[in-house]
Amino acid sequence: MNSYYAATLLVYAAVDIIACLALNLQFGLSGIVNFSFIVFQAIGAYTAAVLSMPPDTANGAYQVYVGGFQLPFPIPWLGGALAGGLLAVPVGLVVLRKLRTDYQAISLLVLSVIANSVITNARPLLNGAAGIAQVPGPFADQIDPLSQSYQLLYVGLTVPCVVLVWVVAARIANSPFGRSLRAMREHELAATALGKNPVQLKMTIFIVGGILAGLSGAILVGYIAVWAPSEWLYPETIILFAAVIVGGRANNMGAILGALLVPVGFFEVTRLIPPTIGGWVPPPNLIPASEWVSIGLLIIGFLWFRPEGVRPEARRIFDGAPVGEEP
Amino acid sequence: MELYLAALGFGLISVSVIAVAAVGFTMQFGITNMINLAYGEVMIVCAYVAYFFNQKGVSVWAALLAAALAGAVLSFLLNRLLYSPFQRKGTNLIGMVIISLAASLMLANVLLAIVGYGSAAYEVDQGFLLRWNGLVLTAAQIAVIGVAVVLMLAIHALLRYTRLGKAMRATAANPTLARNCGIPTQRVIDLVWLITGALCGVAGVVAGMNSENFTVASGASYLITIIAAAVLGGAGQPYGAMIGALVIGIVTELSAAAIAPEYKEVVAFAILVLVMVLRPQGLLAKRGALAAAG
Repeated sequence: MNSYYAATLLVYAAVDIIACLALNLQFGLSGIVNFSFIVFQAIGAYTAAVLSMPPDTANGAYQVYVGGFQLPFPIPWLGGALAGGLLAVPVGLVVLRKLRTDYQAISLLVLSVIANSVITNARPLLNGAAGIAQVPGPFADQIDPLSQSYQLLYVGLTVPCVVLVWVVAARIANSPFGRSLRAMREHELAATALGKNPVQLKMTIFIVGGILAGLSGAILVGYIAVWAPSEWLYPETIILFAAVIVGGRANNMGAILGALLVPVGFFEVTRLIPPTIGGWVPPPNLIPASEWVSIGLLIIGFLWFRPEGVRPEARRIFDGAPVGEEP
Repeated sequence: MELYLAALGFGLISVSVIAVAAVGFTMQFGITNMINLAYGEVMIVCAYVAYFFNQKGVSVWAALLAAALAGAVLSFLLNRLLYSPFQRKGTNLIGMVIISLAASLMLANVLLAIVGYGSAAYEVDQGFLLRWNGLVLTAAQIAVIGVAVVLMLAIHALLRYTRLGKAMRATAANPTLARNCGIPTQRVIDLVWLITGALCGVAGVVAGMNSENFTVASGASYLITIIAAAVLGGAGQPYGAMIGALVIGIVTELSAAAIAPEYKEVVAFAILVLVMVLRPQGLLAKRGALAAAG
């Protein structure tokens, strides 16, 4: 394992950890089934890309996109996070205000499919199906992005973001706000009766999740330098759901563990599959297809045998509360 | 004008396809309380079953029956082996939605491993042409419309005039009370999955005939249109789904003529958003997006 590979793995792990922590705040802590999570990551990535790239006429106009502002780090990353948060406002206002939870889930799934199809078909906007390439990473004009020190630099920029996101997630989970979210998740009507405004709570955590998702997209695009609709098809969201379910809903350590086990783990396992098995060459579709089937089995298996995940949510018992089995 | 009349012709066929699909989808939800997100993928599996027979030289209309049977069996098994055990275990609505999405992903990828990424198209004898100004329909397209009309009337007769239909409506309204009144709700639900599965199979084939070709990835776009039609009509309401299909089918095809065909689903989505903002319970619903979870 060389240092390039180690850096790639670390950056991917960091992006997945941020995404899983964000999804855990929405899905685990608050019960919002955000099936369009990947769209928020995508808008962060696209925003960071157009903020850091030169205008599309610069390189012989072989790709078209809006913007192209060539802004220095950290503006693209902040812009990506901001875009994720801004997108959450209209989506949240339509979806989270009145609808039942299962309707919220299907509406967000529909949004995810439609957003992808719009970006694929509307080529002048973000170069359509081919996607954007040659996205410059932070400080790429000062240090050669192919050098070993640049890899180290990128990991060095990414790790503080993960720590920051983890602190934010932990603070939210342990704050009175986090308790209100859990109360709303468990029994929305009762929480409302106690004076909690469920729409406000949901909107807030939806926007926070959107910001973190946008940041994760911005970090990813700076490293891989390309971003296309095929990167953010709706099944990508299901991988993150699998990670949170496996790790343990509403447990931040569980979300991190899930991110390392599921997206990163699958990425590693696929690398270890030999191209031929005893002279037999598996058909090209078989390995990716069986990966997705395993993700589905993982979700179904965990929901059946261990719905609370590897690291269950800590049960909080308050002084004076009657201690008994949960209903 | 000619263009819009032609679009209206396409619209009529789309309405037929969407109606067959959406009625099955909405009945599953209305009677068994299950939003089956694997519905689009079951459609595609059935479309490929029919394609397999069609390639062997069987007429597409005979293959349609095979697809209906495949849809019925697959949906029945999906419920018996996956959904029903989780529902009995007390998994909440959110959990069930996630499970059905996982099932959809698995079905799609098993199919992908078998048939690959390529597209498929049926060999259909289009028959004579019917012309009226810009409106052009082939005999095969008229037959698709006929199949849809017959199926809609059959569903209407089933729900309205038969003991089974009454038992289904009772189970939808209150399963516990229905069981206490001596209705074998388990058997009713099994029959619902068989019937809606057959509708799903037919829908898969007629959808495949309606578009030039289909791939494994078409399942997701079918699902979007079906959800739009079902939610517009009021989820769980078969008649609502028929009205929803009528609106979505005509409007998307007219918009395809007016704007661009790539944005058909976007128009369906825009209608869905409008419904969710203005009338989340849908056009006909007694219970719908606003009802308490349960």
